Amino acid sequence: MSSTSVLEFAPSAIRQRITTWRHLRGGLKGSEYAWAIAFLVPYVGVFLAFVVYPAVYGLWMGSEASLYSELFSDPIYQSTVVNTVLFLGIAVNLKMFCALLLSGFFMRRGWWVKALLMIYVLPWAVPALPTFISIHWMLNGEWGLINNAIYQIFHIDGPAWLDSRWFALGSAIYSHIWKWMPFWTVILLAGRMAIPQDLYDAAKVDGATGWRQFVHINLPLIANLYLICTLLSTIFSLGDFNSVFFVTGGGPANSTHVLATLGIRDAFDLAQPRLGVAAVMSALPLVIPLVIILMRKLKTAEVQL
Amino acid sequence: MSVTTLGRIAAPARASRRAGQRARRRARLTEAVAMMFGVLLIVWTVLPIYNMVMVSLEAHSDVFTDAIWPPHPSVASFWIVVTEGYWYLEYFWHQFGNSLYVGAAVTFLTLLIASLASFSIGRMRIRYGWLVSNAALLTYVIPASFLAIPFYRIMQNYGLANNLWSVIAAEVTFATPYGIFIFSQYGRSIPIELDESARMDGATPMQIYFHIYLPMLAPALVAVGTYALLLAWNEYLYQFLLLSSKRSMTVPVALAQFLNSDEAPWNYMMATAIVYALPPLAIYYLFRGRMTAGLTMGGVKG
Amino acid sequence: MGNLSRRAVIRASVQLAAAGALSRPYIANAANTTASAWWVQGFAQEEDVAFRQVVEDYQKASGNTIDYSIIPYAPERQKIVSAITSGDVPDLFTANPAEIVALYAWQGKLVDVGDVVETQKSQFSETALLSAQCYNSVTKRRGTYGVPFTGAVLPIHVWKSLVEKAGYKIEDIPKTWDPCWDFFKDVQKKLRAQGARNVYGQGLQVTANGVDPNNTFHYFLIAYGGQDIVTKDGLLHVDDPKVRAAVIKALTYPTTSLKQGFVPPSAVNWNDADDNNAFHSKLIVMDLDGTISTEVAIIKDQEDYNDIVTMGLPLSNEGQPVPSQLTVVNALIPVGAKNVAVAKDFLKYFIQPKVNNEWLKVGLGRNIPVMPQIVKDDPWWFADPHRKAYTTQGVIGSTVPAYWAFNPAYSQVQTEHVWSTAWNDILNNGMTADAAADKAFARIKEIFAKYPIVQS
Repeated sequence: MSSTSVLEFAPSAIRQRITTWRHLRGGLKGSEYAWAIAFLVPYVGVFLAFVVYPAVYGLWMGSEASLYSELFSDPIYQSTVVNTVLFLGIAVNLKMFCALLLSGFFMRRGWWVKALLMIYVLPWAVPALPTFISIHWMLNGEWGLINNAIYQIFHIDGPAWLDSRWFALGSAIYSHIWKWMPFWTVILLAGRMAIPQDLYDAAKVDGATGWRQFVHINLPLIANLYLICTLLSTIFSLGDFNSVFFVTGGGPANSTHVLATLGIRDAFDLAQPRLGVAAVMSALPLVIPLVIILMRKLKTAEVQL
Repeated sequence: MSVTTLGRIAAPARASRRAGQRARRRARLTEAVAMMFGVLLIVWTVLPIYNMVMVSLEAHSDVFTDAIWPPHPSVASFWIVVTEGYWYLEYFWHQFGNSLYVGAAVTFLTLLIASLASFSIGRMRIRYGWLVSNAALLTYVIPASFLAIPFYRIMQNYGLANNLWSVIAAEVTFATPYGIFIFSQYGRSIPIELDESARMDGATPMQIYFHIYLPMLAPALVAVGTYALLLAWNEYLYQFLLLSSKRSMTVPVALAQFLNSDEAPWNYMMATAIVYALPPLAIYYLFRGRMTAGLTMGGVKG
Repeated sequence: MGNLSRRAVIRASVQLAAAGALSRPYIANAANTTASAWWVQGFAQEEDVAFRQVVEDYQKASGNTIDYSIIPYAPERQKIVSAITSGDVPDLFTANPAEIVALYAWQGKLVDVGDVVETQKSQFSETALLSAQCYNSVTKRRGTYGVPFTGAVLPIHVWKSLVEKAGYKIEDIPKTWDPCWDFFKDVQKKLRAQGARNVYGQGLQVTANGVDPNNTFHYFLIAYGGQDIVTKDGLLHVDDPKVRAAVIKALTYPTTSLKQGFVPPSAVNWNDADDNNAFHSKLIVMDLDGTISTEVAIIKDQEDYNDIVTMGLPLSNEGQPVPSQLTVVNALIPVGAKNVAVAKDFLKYFIQPKVNNEWLKVGLGRNIPVMPQIVKDDPWWFADPHRKAYTTQGVIGSTVPAYWAFNPAYSQVQTEHVWSTAWNDILNNGMTADAAADKAFARIKEIFAKYPIVQS
């Protein structure tokens, strides 16, 4: 018996409730609805147990107003915020832009391009701790690999990569880009490969090649994916502790801390975990708008053609 | 045929040949430039890794000298790692096994939970499903370092202190939203008609999930699986905080022991890191074709 | 460090068992109960072996069980903070870092262990006792909140071969403060003249990472007469002109050295291990670094081991001995521990001189005792030249406690690296020593304002 026939005989109040209920279910009938819920339960369970509960606990930890006045009076808080903004702004955008260009490069044909891609993703595959320590050693002003090489080739002393604030921050940005650019390149490459060959062929028939091809075909289709990836990457990078901590140690003299490292330092070095939570929470005014934009973009995202 | 006719026929042929030559020269030039760029890219990528390899091949006293090439290269460090010949590496293979266990569990659970969720949201179109997928994204709003202390407390509450499952739970939590994201994007390229015709034939959602959805999702499964495995394999903060005994530790935590004091045999540490990096590299190599296909948002047109 | 030889392990067990047998009077006739303990992993494998033996012997002698975890340094720090925050604490743990005894005592989070310390009170040095007597802001009194069991100072480590290569002898090193450090500038000049490109005379850790920069600054401060910057009563004396003068000198000397090229420029951002790396690679001639881990780490390489000379501090410029600031490590019992009685019992056992001595010796003597009589009774501590110098400096010689014992505010001064920031201000931000000192004083006053100590 179909559901509509039942409704015909039901009084209006019940009809109202049934349609609302069906509206909620999104048109799923009976046991199917149970399945849909069952399929969703594992993730919702994980989410509640391991995201909501800790987040609420963390928010409770960071909820005292006095924490924030203490946080803002920390002499390095301001420079940390500046560093974080610079780090996110430069590292994320430079990384994504280069990833975009490289994704175009890796579309080339040839066995050597494929082999190159294999090597290129090494930074992503190798564990972070030892590679960042390796970078820390490599960038040492006196006996690091880079300056040794510069001396052997050019017979001049290389710059002190980690000894002043801006060079050290640059080194941290470099480390972050080095580690994560391959990951985003692969994502953008996949996005490019999703563009059907027919479009390229049609364009070629119309006489569009190279640059015009990029502007009129690639760009519009990739743009949305690029924006989503940039937003997502900004959010991820806000929590990037390793790139800064193991390469510069937050130094010299705490001048290259970012909010992620400041949070850990406050929590464990100063033994004030609530202050650490507050440090990370102070980034929320920046993060929440990003997430809202991201969610809107994903809703309307149609990367397929 | 007269000479002039021949000439008139030959001229366009000659012109096209010259155009072809020019195009080939241009192509060879761009290819050469591309190759040079490729070399630069290799240098960029390999430098820090080369430093690691160099240290791992050096004797302890040779590390941090002026050399840009290991002065007396030897694989002694690798031997020490593989034979567990150093104090910090006492349980290396056991810890390696822990890492494998965690990696496998995280991969499997992430794929399972994310695919079930995205099936429910994307295919069965449960009302307000978008709420769940958006909420999933919120996981990333909160940086992992922020959640570290609450997590520690909570794992005590759940009775999971110093247990590999606490780490697995944490990493599944961080990998799944990305999985849901990829699966829903990828899933848009799987025609919904397949589901509907199966339903008309009387298939239950579970059957649709297993026999239609999962097979078609295969490339995305590989992509997300690789992502989850790498996340678990290289994750450090949570493993560091939640695992404290030598027998329960994973290799990243064991590596961090080298930072325990201001002295350490760095060559052993780097050798350990290189040995540890081999499995994900192998997996990436094996699955790279499928992985790129899986990340393709639009899927492959039939 | 290779695997521990069976002989060494057997020797350790016999010694510790013997110690256990002799210490029965202090072992309570406790019921069979269990206490949980977090112990920091040693810098050498032998230290862990030593601890395990102590626990085994205690368990046998007392019938109690110690459920212990040996945790690496940094994770133990994190676990302690997380535990104290969440309330889920073990029954005892090592103070890691050392200054948390003062911080948590202030917050009223530690159990008073005066009764434990009392059992060996006559054995402890005054510095050790002072380092455990911390102020509790809840009870508004000082109490004994830690059980001292070891300590560390900063000796000077020198490469004899580099000094000799420069044409000098170790005996040529001047005995007073500034001339002693200046000597290494000459060594560097001579070595550079011979063509060594990357050698530096002074390994002074002017960085803001780790604990040694604070120690380095304090040693210079004390040498220049600024010892009373914080007094036993917890009061701050930055307005004292003598202190101010000493601070300015302590800020000036290392930074001037660096600017003149005698300290590696990267020292301004060294992490904890970088100075050791530099020293081991003979890139710095001398290193002012805590403990003798520098030497113990290469104990297998006899040639290099014998090439390093370990020295105590030179006299002050006025010819007076300079006391070494001793960082005492305490064992702590947190409030909320489930089995305080067994924890206390174990600690009473552990600080018995014989047990303590054996534990330290099996651990290769990298840690020194805080009970002078131990080394006076046991010539082992003077058998090896490195150990002899270190023991003389840290146990026999005059020592002063860390400032955080007087006032927990100072622990924040240290973890914020206020003095390293001042060094950096001079080096990278163009400030004069005066201005940097003023800035540091201002911040220290701010921090101290949060920890008002009621004077009794």
